[in-house]
Amino acid sequence: MTLPTESASSIHAPAAKPGKRRSVSPFAQAFGKLLRDPLALTGIVVLSAFVLLAIFAPLLAPQNPYDLSQLDIMDGRLKPGSESMTGTVYLLGTDDQGRDLFSAILFGLRTSILVGLVSAAIALLIGASIGLLSAYAGGRTDAFLMRIVDIQLSFPAILIALIFLAVLGQGVDKIIFALVVTQWAYYARTIRGSALVERKRAYVDAARSMALPDRRVLFRHILPNCLPPLIVVATMRVAYAIMLEATLSFLGIGLPVTEPSLGLLVSNGFEYLLSGDYWISFFPGLALLILIVAINLIGDSLRDILNPRREG
Amino acid sequence: MTNPILSVQDLTTSFRVDGQWRDVIRGVAFDIQPRETVAVVGESGSGKSVTAMSIMRLLSPANSRSTGRIEFEGRNLLDLPLPDMQAIRGNRIGMIFQEPMTSLNPVLKIGDQITEVLRHHRGMSDAGAMAEAARLLDRVRIPSARQRLGEYPMNFSGGMRQRVVIAIALACSPRLLIADEPTTALDVTIQAQILELIKTLQEEEGMSVLFITHDMGVVAEVSDRTVVMYRGDVVETATTEEIFRRARHPYSRALLSAVPQLGAMRGHDRPLRFPRVDMTTGEIAPPQSTADTVRRDAAPILEVANLVTRFPIRKGILRRVVGRIHAVEDISFELRQGETLSLVGESGCGKSTTGRSLIRLEEPTGGTVSLNGHDVRKAGHSELASIRRDVQMIFQDPFESLNPRIRIGAAIAEPMIAHGLVSRRDAPARVAGLLERVGLSGEMMQRFPHEFSGGQRQRICIARALALEPRLIIADESVSALDVSVKAQVINLMLDLQERYGLGYLFISHDMAVVERISHRVAVMYLGEIVEIGPRAAVFENPRHPYTRKLIAAVPVADPSRRQRRVATAEEIRSPYRSADYVPPKRLFREVGDGHFVQIVDDEAAA
Repeated sequence: MTLPTESASSIHAPAAKPGKRRSVSPFAQAFGKLLRDPLALTGIVVLSAFVLLAIFAPLLAPQNPYDLSQLDIMDGRLKPGSESMTGTVYLLGTDDQGRDLFSAILFGLRTSILVGLVSAAIALLIGASIGLLSAYAGGRTDAFLMRIVDIQLSFPAILIALIFLAVLGQGVDKIIFALVVTQWAYYARTIRGSALVERKRAYVDAARSMALPDRRVLFRHILPNCLPPLIVVATMRVAYAIMLEATLSFLGIGLPVTEPSLGLLVSNGFEYLLSGDYWISFFPGLALLILIVAINLIGDSLRDILNPRREG
Repeated sequence: MTNPILSVQDLTTSFRVDGQWRDVIRGVAFDIQPRETVAVVGESGSGKSVTAMSIMRLLSPANSRSTGRIEFEGRNLLDLPLPDMQAIRGNRIGMIFQEPMTSLNPVLKIGDQITEVLRHHRGMSDAGAMAEAARLLDRVRIPSARQRLGEYPMNFSGGMRQRVVIAIALACSPRLLIADEPTTALDVTIQAQILELIKTLQEEEGMSVLFITHDMGVVAEVSDRTVVMYRGDVVETATTEEIFRRARHPYSRALLSAVPQLGAMRGHDRPLRFPRVDMTTGEIAPPQSTADTVRRDAAPILEVANLVTRFPIRKGILRRVVGRIHAVEDISFELRQGETLSLVGESGCGKSTTGRSLIRLEEPTGGTVSLNGHDVRKAGHSELASIRRDVQMIFQDPFESLNPRIRIGAAIAEPMIAHGLVSRRDAPARVAGLLERVGLSGEMMQRFPHEFSGGQRQRICIARALALEPRLIIADESVSALDVSVKAQVINLMLDLQERYGLGYLFISHDMAVVERISHRVAVMYLGEIVEIGPRAAVFENPRHPYTRKLIAAVPVADPSRRQRRVATAEEIRSPYRSADYVPPKRLFREVGDGHFVQIVDDEAAA
């Protein structure tokens, strides 16, 4: 037997308070709760730090790792903390071409975060539109679009990305394209599910019975209420996109060697791991790990906060 | 006097909310004598369920605590170690809950769920437990009990599930049965059966019953003594007779005056407001009578002829239609400006689908609907929009029917702006005016729906419906989810608005007493058809169709002196599902009075 909980929770139901204050929206409330969760706050602080480092990489990095003229092959594979012949200190050591790993990681973060966010944003836009359309149209349109989603989801993401990159070649734009192709279906499936639930709720009937235009019902009433699960999926998917990009770069088909992302840096040091020059792979790998964990901490916390069953 | 079975003294329960302890019930005290039924009555948030949960110690110890004494069979339940408490729960005290749909495990057979209790608490063998389970189902009057043991909860209707839950609660012959709103989720005819069953079983088993409810009618029907709770305090304890005859506390009196009583409208020919009660003195101001709002001179604003709405049930890969739900089957009626027509019936009778079909929230299958002279079914996109302006709908659940992410000011202004009735700049003034008209303050428009109580939200929905200056409002169970006193206020508001704007109401409800209060005319629906329609007084005082009579007889009367014993039956509400080739028979009506029509009963349609 399950115990009824409504009776107990109704006592905590917020009574309307008097006063003139402008009340906070549910989204603002969720954000407030996010900031009060210590784990999520840690994630936000770390992520913000990484994003700031990435944005200001050209100012912060001691060296431009893409400018081959600044590299000295003689500085290759120096230990962390060692000093070059010109007097610069390589905080995290150098790779086999004498590239400062600290600078390379800063610039690598830039690429990783850019690729992750942009691909997720585009995939979200496409996926959400298709999912919303599918839920609202229903019938054959819905069946057709969802079969495409099924087919898309039945292939491993990495396989699709590999095929696309093999055909298209290397480059930031191409990897973003490949990531969007592999990701949109998740968003479409998520938003369709919640839109189907929302569409049956009384406030949508109310909007329809007031003869509001379809467009308005869809975008002003249904969409905002579908956002919570979408935001959660999006956070998790950004982390996944960054990881996928790193994997592809590690396999050597993502980004060109001249623009090292974190994955490529790991790959560069891979062959020296066993010879004791661990830092070339280790530090980029660590940066990647912290980035992913930070995003997932935020995502986990968001999932709990935005879960309608845990509201109250 | 014998010793009480249960004696609650100075029970205080607090919950921890955001790190602070808040008292939810304070100093609750009452006794239950052997073979006595005590009702705890109050509105939502009064603490009546918390009282029951505290007695059973079912509240989570992490964020709740209880102090005081709960003496049961000479022991204080609050001091008992958990294993001893476990032995009392189920064994000595049985409990039944409100929601029969969720209190049974859907993946276990009914028989297994009953025998589990018997084996665990009474140490019975498998075969013995099975035989005992069949006997228990017999006790709760479930037909062909032995066969039904092998079925799953989904094969049982709501009323039947509640019987199973009662059977499980009775499995160990408890001395005390705690029933927490056991009939609230049930239809009125089923509620009457379950109440009768509980009364019969109590006599047979000689147990005491603690009955938690919000329904004064149910209290009057079942309880010997009544405890009235208000915001966590017991405000009055007395015999049920006394409470109904001469309640001392103002709140009890307010609660009673807000209870619509079936039959109280004899002698009134128009809808009647609920009396207002001064909450401090308990003085009752006599209700103002309503003006005659019905426009008999003009053509009806709503004319429905032979409306049919069916939902196909498809199966298989080819999605063949294997059957249809005949939700609305050949119904006709009309509604005049300023008139309230109620559609009344039990769940599944098609009353809500009728309302939704009128403005094509569901597509009707056949018939004509004419609103203000527009043919709704033939209307194109823009004509439908203008029709929907004239007809507004208010839904049952005020928590669901407002978009949680839109401020209420914007929600009310939205339809006006979309229809070009008001500019974006002038909207706030109009919204403030509307909010004041429904008894709220204009300053509230910046708030979100979750900051309002249920009654306030329903007022907001009414304000939004009024925004488009409609001529007809379809109120789909609009007051059913509200507490008694709030319900009375909202109904008074609706009557005020009808007087002021000459609104027509199509009032869809299962609550016979409310319908009697508010309607000019009443249509009784059963299995998608109108079986009786006529002026309110004629239908209630001279019901002619057997189903109407059954429905009226099933309503609990909020008067303990008119308590009636019914025969405990196990009749169920029939389903409107029919096979695909079913052709509904043509129904004929007989006019038995002025505008009072009754379906001619043939053998097949006998209810």
